[in-house]
Amino acid sequence: MTAVDIALFATVVGSIVLFGGAAALALGWAFRDGQFDNFDQGSKSIFGPDEPVGEPTDAFPGANL
Amino acid sequence: MDRGIVIFLGALLTFSSSWLGLVVFPFRQLGQEQPYQKDEGDIPYPQPLQGLALAGMRVYQHNGCMYCHTQQVRSEKFGDWWDANGEHKTGADIKRSYGLRRTVSRDYIYDNPTMLGTMRTGPDLANIGVRNPSEPWHHTHLLNPRSANSWSIMPSFAFLYAREKIVGSRSDKALSLAREWTVDPGYRWRPSAKEWEAILARQGDSLVAQYTAGQPAAIDITTTEGKKRLLEFWLTTPEEEYQVVPKAEGEALVAYLLALRKAEFPLPEAKE
Amino acid sequence: MAVTVAEMSQHDRAKSAAERAAIDASCRGPVLVFASSAVFWLLAGSMLALLASVKLHVPYLFTGSAELTFGRVRMAHLQAVGIGWASLASVAACLWLMCRLSRAELIYPKMLYLAGALWNIGVSLAVVGIILGDGQSVEWLDAPPYAPPFFVAALGIVSAWTVAVFRRRREPHLYVTQWYLLGAVFWFPWIYLVAQFMIFWSPAVGVVQPIVNWWFGHNVLGLWFTPVAVGTAYYLIPKIIGRPVHSYYLSIIGFWSLALFYSWAGMHHLIGGPIPAWLATASTVGSMMMFIPVIAVAINHHMTLLGHFHRLRYSPALRFTVFGAISYTLVSFQGSLMALKSVSETVHFTHYIVAHAHLGAYAFVTMIMFGLFYYMIPRLTGREWASSVLIRIHFWCAAVGITTYFVALSIGGWWQGRMMNNPDVPFANIVAYLLPHWLTRTLAGLMLTIGHVAFAISFVMNLAGWGKQRSGGPTFFVEPEKKT
Repeated sequence: MTAVDIALFATVVGSIVLFGGAAALALGWAFRDGQFDNFDQGSKSIFGPDEPVGEPTDAFPGANL
Repeated sequence: MDRGIVIFLGALLTFSSSWLGLVVFPFRQLGQEQPYQKDEGDIPYPQPLQGLALAGMRVYQHNGCMYCHTQQVRSEKFGDWWDANGEHKTGADIKRSYGLRRTVSRDYIYDNPTMLGTMRTGPDLANIGVRNPSEPWHHTHLLNPRSANSWSIMPSFAFLYAREKIVGSRSDKALSLAREWTVDPGYRWRPSAKEWEAILARQGDSLVAQYTAGQPAAIDITTTEGKKRLLEFWLTTPEEEYQVVPKAEGEALVAYLLALRKAEFPLPEAKE
Repeated sequence: MAVTVAEMSQHDRAKSAAERAAIDASCRGPVLVFASSAVFWLLAGSMLALLASVKLHVPYLFTGSAELTFGRVRMAHLQAVGIGWASLASVAACLWLMCRLSRAELIYPKMLYLAGALWNIGVSLAVVGIILGDGQSVEWLDAPPYAPPFFVAALGIVSAWTVAVFRRRREPHLYVTQWYLLGAVFWFPWIYLVAQFMIFWSPAVGVVQPIVNWWFGHNVLGLWFTPVAVGTAYYLIPKIIGRPVHSYYLSIIGFWSLALFYSWAGMHHLIGGPIPAWLATASTVGSMMMFIPVIAVAINHHMTLLGHFHRLRYSPALRFTVFGAISYTLVSFQGSLMALKSVSETVHFTHYIVAHAHLGAYAFVTMIMFGLFYYMIPRLTGREWASSVLIRIHFWCAAVGITTYFVALSIGGWWQGRMMNNPDVPFANIVAYLLPHWLTRTLAGLMLTIGHVAFAISFVMNLAGWGKQRSGGPTFFVEPEKKT
């Protein structure tokens, strides 16, 4: 292996071990913590009082037009 | 910890899996390859490009040749086709004589960049130096591909050539092409009717003599038909006072093309 | 935060509108800088594309010009539309959507002006450098070595600012679009840096290079443009029709499976090539697995729209976005099928691939970006689009143009592959067969360009203040009947 090979390999494998390991821990924590529950509420988070569910924002005019 | 971190790290995990699979393993597997040497004392294959051919590789690279020409010969088993009798066959590349065998990773160990290519608007060039070793042909073809193949849609690379007045005798490097290709390099030139009349008035007699020398029948240039026939003849003769010679880049490019011999040398791993 | 029309008060409404207006105002400058640069590069890229396309059937066009030779124009086109238009539009999308969805104002916008300037310098250097003969012949990474540092710096700023906005979020819930955007701003700098590193700065030689090249080339579509465009559609479609996403659970499955499988699928570009066989097999498996995220997204986008198709008549943004969403389903299914051996052995090295790439990059990504612009720009400038005729021209030119483009080159490419695989067919016949397809492609490209000009005129008119002041009302193609 040349010095370039070793440098490349260290960068790549090093980052995978560091990032990948942390990612595995974090995903485990996320599931235990219930981070992936309650999706249905979330789907409505883009709507608010002035642009509520049921009121198109680029199609039918709302009440305030 | 919040969800942002979770997403960030999760994305990392999933992503690194593909990174490991697609990039690191092949790198390990292919990065170690050595040139092939059958017996002690043989010249190893492949050899890195040097000198003019290396400079020509840059011309090839900077003009994006690889966007129409691949440099890889696929195996005998690749791709289905059916011959005239409806018999099922495979492997067109070798039958099209793009190479004597398929190309393998060892053929490319000195390539940088490795211009495998992804499109065959034109034919494969992996082995062009073996398939067509004629240097003059490559020059005339690059100056204007239509001079070699009337159906070709390849761009002209006239900018790699210079048209110059002949001083003394014609250069050895001058392209032996008819005047229709050399008067306006890159285009197929024809004189306008008026220009042709002027040329006839000036040198009509000597042209007729030249024409008659190689032809059994005489020609009458007072008729339209005769004028036309003489024009066709004249266009296929070389220019007397001007020549087209390759610039350094043109010479380099052809040197590179002739050095492309990737599918010739037998390698043990390329048997099939 | 499910709020129905009945229970909300006028006060809430005004407060919420004011908050949104403040957020939009905070990111107006940088987003408009990125958006207008994107439109400029779209036009430049269209011209280059048109020139390259014409040159295939009129080889004598500008034949003496080294600068305008096909190979250089083709490289310059890809940089202009890929790193120019589509990436700049994606940055605009990332910034604006991240601000809105996090309900957070953008801070220190000056750094983003710097990023915009750096990015434009980078694209200019790339395009001009390639035209002048410094192209690198590494597909997607043709930019001469002096251009990428500008992208990398700009990209670093953009990613940092997107994450910074996210960190300042007031909205506790993470909407699915934000997942996609965060993934995108993380993936793109990484794949770009790694590819630059392994191909140019510390070059891997031999066939490792094309492997890295196609790992990048495929992932730039899959892990940069796709997440931004899919994320944008996940915001625009529900928002425009006023109906939450059909299945939020599916959308998150879709995100993770995209991240896991998409990045495996790039190696079909090298099928039959001198690469290890198991790579192609792994790629085929990855491509097949892509059915999961694609079906998840398809179900979501199309089921959300179900029963609301009539709104396509009234909303330009929705029209473009839905065209893009449908194309996403199509291009992904096509992509998975192309991993099958018999298909890929036919279409490899042909214009079928070009058609597929444009179905992805144009019919899917670009159309959704158009949709985003039609929705976003009036909300940033506070002015309505001035002319619905121009929008109509743009839509029909784009829709008919890209459909023509795709059909012509897919058919041409398929038969090109069949003929190429049969050694009894002379090469001349293949070229002759393709000529009418290339001519059709030029006509399609001309339509697309006309559409882009109409779009650019609309855009400039809007920036210059030629539109009606917005009063909160939407842009209409057709005035809808009064709601009963």
